[in-house]
Amino acid sequence: MRWPVVWNSFLRHLLVLTVLSFVGCRTPPDDQLTDENRPVATASLELSQLLSGEAEGFRQATEPRQFLFPEDHGPHPDFRTEWWYLTGNLTSSSGRRIGYQFTLFRNALATEETPRPSQWATRQVYMGHLAVTDVDNKRFFAFERFARGAAGLAGVELEPFRAWLEDWELSSGDSSPPFQLQASAGEIALDLVLVPTKPSVLQGEAGLSRKGSEPGNASYYYAFTRLATSGLIHLDGRDIEVQGSSWLDREWSTSALEPNQSGWDWFALQLDDGTDAMVYQIRRDDGSPDPVSSGSRIGVDGARSALSWSDFQLEVLDWWTSPETGVRYPSGWRLRIPGDQLDLQIEPLVRDQELRLSVLYWEGAVQVEGTRGSTPISGRGYVELTGYAVP
Amino acid sequence: MKRLLWKSSLRHLQRHPLQLALAILGVALGVAVVVGIDVANGSALRAFELSTDTIAGRATHQIVGLDGVIPEGLYRQLRIELGLRRSAPVVEGHARLLIPESPTFSVMGVDPFAEAEFRDFTSSGAQGSLNLGMFLTEPGASLLSHETATNLEIEPGDEFEIDVGGAVRTLKLVGHLRPSGEAQQTAIRDLIVVDIATAQESLGLVGSLTRIEVIRPPGMTEAELEERITAILPATAALQSRRARASTAEQMTRAFRLNLQALSLLALLCGAFLIYNTMTFAVVQRRPLLAILRVLGTTRREVFLLILGEAVLIGAIGTLLGELAGLWLGRSLIGRVTQTINDLYFVVDVREVAVAPWTLLKGGLLGLTATVAAAIAPSIEATNTEPREALVRSELESRIHRVVPALSVLGFVLLACGTGLILLPSNALWLAFAGLFAVLVGYALLTPIATMVLMRWLTPVAGAVSGQLGRIATRGVVTALSRTGIAIAALMMALSVTVGVDLMVRSFRGTVNRWLEYALPADLYLSVFTAPTRRFSPGGVTIDPATIDTIADLDAVSAINLLRHFSTVVDNESVRAVALQLSPESHGAFAFRQGDPTAIWRRIEAGEAVMVSESFAYRRALEEGDSVRILSANEVFELPIAGIFYDYSTEQGLLMLDRSLYQRGWSDDGATALSIHTAAGTNLDELSDLIRGRLPPDLRVRLSSNRQLRQESMRIFDRTFVITGVLRTLAVLVAFVGVLSALLALQLERTRELGVMRACGLTPGQLWMLVTQQTGLMGLTAGVLSLPVGVSMAAIMVYTINRRSFGWSLALDLFPLTLVQAVAVGVVAALLAGLYPAWRMARTRPSAALREE
Repeated sequence: MRWPVVWNSFLRHLLVLTVLSFVGCRTPPDDQLTDENRPVATASLELSQLLSGEAEGFRQATEPRQFLFPEDHGPHPDFRTEWWYLTGNLTSSSGRRIGYQFTLFRNALATEETPRPSQWATRQVYMGHLAVTDVDNKRFFAFERFARGAAGLAGVELEPFRAWLEDWELSSGDSSPPFQLQASAGEIALDLVLVPTKPSVLQGEAGLSRKGSEPGNASYYYAFTRLATSGLIHLDGRDIEVQGSSWLDREWSTSALEPNQSGWDWFALQLDDGTDAMVYQIRRDDGSPDPVSSGSRIGVDGARSALSWSDFQLEVLDWWTSPETGVRYPSGWRLRIPGDQLDLQIEPLVRDQELRLSVLYWEGAVQVEGTRGSTPISGRGYVELTGYAVP
Repeated sequence: MKRLLWKSSLRHLQRHPLQLALAILGVALGVAVVVGIDVANGSALRAFELSTDTIAGRATHQIVGLDGVIPEGLYRQLRIELGLRRSAPVVEGHARLLIPESPTFSVMGVDPFAEAEFRDFTSSGAQGSLNLGMFLTEPGASLLSHETATNLEIEPGDEFEIDVGGAVRTLKLVGHLRPSGEAQQTAIRDLIVVDIATAQESLGLVGSLTRIEVIRPPGMTEAELEERITAILPATAALQSRRARASTAEQMTRAFRLNLQALSLLALLCGAFLIYNTMTFAVVQRRPLLAILRVLGTTRREVFLLILGEAVLIGAIGTLLGELAGLWLGRSLIGRVTQTINDLYFVVDVREVAVAPWTLLKGGLLGLTATVAAAIAPSIEATNTEPREALVRSELESRIHRVVPALSVLGFVLLACGTGLILLPSNALWLAFAGLFAVLVGYALLTPIATMVLMRWLTPVAGAVSGQLGRIATRGVVTALSRTGIAIAALMMALSVTVGVDLMVRSFRGTVNRWLEYALPADLYLSVFTAPTRRFSPGGVTIDPATIDTIADLDAVSAINLLRHFSTVVDNESVRAVALQLSPESHGAFAFRQGDPTAIWRRIEAGEAVMVSESFAYRRALEEGDSVRILSANEVFELPIAGIFYDYSTEQGLLMLDRSLYQRGWSDDGATALSIHTAAGTNLDELSDLIRGRLPPDLRVRLSSNRQLRQESMRIFDRTFVITGVLRTLAVLVAFVGVLSALLALQLERTRELGVMRACGLTPGQLWMLVTQQTGLMGLTAGVLSLPVGVSMAAIMVYTINRRSFGWSLALDLFPLTLVQAVAVGVVAALLAGLYPAWRMARTRPSAALREE
């Protein structure tokens, strides 16, 4: 489950905050502007503030459906929100560790697609986030882009598969993986090839992932939990050859968090015994976990088994306060899955992996150490934390 | 001693308050006209800059289409392939609301996602937040400034209709624009901001952008940026830097503004004459006093400074008053100037008076310089005179008479120089104006000798008419040449300005009128554009062929002509063009400069040649037979010019080609205007109604009879020249003040002389006669002399200045009435100016008059 940006109502709020149109933002003097690292908005949004909005008129994820590939790699325009979400942990030939996140969000602004003569007319808007974590130098770069899903500026197409926002592009030679990711911003550039080493899995109940007790407060969700990744990362003026492993989440939905839910902590872990685990915990306003929280683990062969809330325990070991925004995030966890005899310690590779963009959240590369039974086990992963900026 | 000197000066000025006041008034009027015109021009330009600044935002460059549009795909190429992400697409056009007296709105379509760096008006919706979803997805969603929406009583959620060059479109207010500063408040007042998709649809520009704005990325040089962009530009698009664009408006209106400025300088020239006149009198009147002062030991230097000081004082007060009056005048002229700019060039709405410090400085400098320059000669005169000579009046007069030949020679030299300047084979407008001024000053210098000659001729006549008194009158003018010469010159200048300007405007009007007579041969004219600019937005609304057919099928319609206005690129320049399909009876609408019309039409209708308007040819130095390279949508046409026709509708110039060629090049069947010949005896009103009934309901057209169209054209013409009329009146006013002050001084100074005459038996009635005759003679002289000067001036303006400004050839019409009027005005002005002195003289008892010394 990924709810990094449920920007259903997000875009509606963007203009309130004068983000997009006619931005009255503090624009630094021209010379200091470097492409897109400039803050687009004056005020970042806290995600969970946005997780309300009328779902009426959009299709909703109410019951399990038949997934069809490659069609489902493409867009589902009648649902309000959709994303193509890639994270990965990479290592250079000299052992340098680099994490990356590339996300393309689609959001429908209206329920109906009115046929209009202008090629610019659309109800689909795309937002892209690109982040790179330079682990050894404790640096973190994050970028953001917006474009309408029209006029060739952004969109998702099948045959061949292509999800792009301007020159950020996740593509495939045909309509199925392997994928190629090409994106650059500021001084950063990625050029990676992603080859699945396991088949895709349907998360939740056969792909229907519930987020709340209300029917329809759910998404359709499938994932490639392990993609062998290799390619080049351009950093500090040099091309660094990297290899590693990525995770692709695909999710589309319409409705949002329930009123008493404030945010979530989400973990995508790739363990070095070849298994993967995903858990998420939705927090209620009072800080307690919501029992709809759940997860899954994926075996070496790609077989998936579900985890319900009672199947795992998550404990926060440490906290970190962002010096930039003052927001306090958990920063170190102990995850236990007794059924699998797993006891894992999860540590951020860099404390500050806060995306201070139009939407404020923490999404970062983590290191995993622990035991399965009595055998030591380690791994890598990505963690996402939202809802912490709300007082 | 110094104090005494200044006191004497002060006393003198005090004793002649009317003279002082008139001198100050003269300077003030001159300065006021210059400042006023400058303020009006400046405000119009400033308003234009302000609106382009707000609308252009922070762009350093923009890509524009030479034919008005650029293909929309260029933006994707620029942003994605070139990676120039600091770029924003814009689709812009003009529209009016469907309410009476609607201001012209700029409809600006933007992509909100690309906007952030370019403009910073913020926006808000009904509940303080703007619904971006609505803005992007609802066709017609738009933003207006809060102020405008309130004034128009449009609430968020309301729909409102706009007229976009003939098509009615419905928009819906979804939020308000909020200015980020006071300057922006004005700029967003007439702005409708919409999503780019809505703009394309409303303005009829689907598939196109009107421009792409670019901010140069840091670390990229201007040259690099230009090289990269130019590499992908199609031939019909051009890259402009911000600086270049700002100067476009300036260049477009340059001729117009220069003409106004030159006219205002003419007023100042009259003012300078006035000052010269006043100061000369101040010196002449005080010759005895100055002589006594010199005898008492005052140095030449002191006298010189005294006179100059007085002039500077008068100049300073006059200038100050003039600046104030100029601001007021400017404010009232803005409407006129703006109207003309809107009629002729581009849409600009001036809401604020912009006064550049430079304007006031310029006005001040001009006022003071003119005063000082005008006072230098009298000051030198006062200084150089030996005290003994100064006490003898005749000495001065004989000296003046000795100078006359030299003045005349100088006058001829200036005339020759001015004529030379005008005849120089150049297109420079300022040269023509310099020549004009030289000619005018040359004529002014010839005034004394002309006066002497005229008076010699008139003496016998005057003697025959009123005996001795008549001869005294004519000879008096000559003997007092030091004063009369200047007064006549000043009046002559002013009268010639009226003659010149009047003849020019009438000639212009006559030419346009004659042109309209044959240019509108059809009975009924239908056009889709109602935009105030008479300019075509690219794309735009057209009448489709099916509709045209239904109109042509009407019984009353005997022939129908199709016109398609469009913009295109000719020889790498943006050009306004018209595609024609004319019935033979409409060929007469075009008069060709040379060549056989039948042959010309045959070539044009065969699509093997084009025709261009005279100003088009003039601006590009093209002749019949030269080739032009036209970029059409489908191919490049390289075609010869078959004929150059007279056209006074636009100074930018027009290119016309046959409709078949247009259809081939642009694959477009629409028409923007129809002209309709009707069967004899058709009721045009009824036919108009029939035609309207056959038009699509959302198409707004203007239907006028040729008479209405002609009247409308003349109305716009007259509106354009209203400001000229205002300036002319001001010049006359300045001149009148000049004559008044000169005659006043002249007659008052003759107190003693007239006293002697009275003592010798001249009755008050005869004295009246004498003074009146003399002033009348002076007025007559000025009036007569103003005729050749005015005609020369009109000729220069008609043949040289108008041609260089607008590329039009006009025929000079010498309206006898104008000429007669000038003489009459001169005489009447002089007579009026002579009334007070005559009245005073007649009342003065001879003894008192004689005792005055």
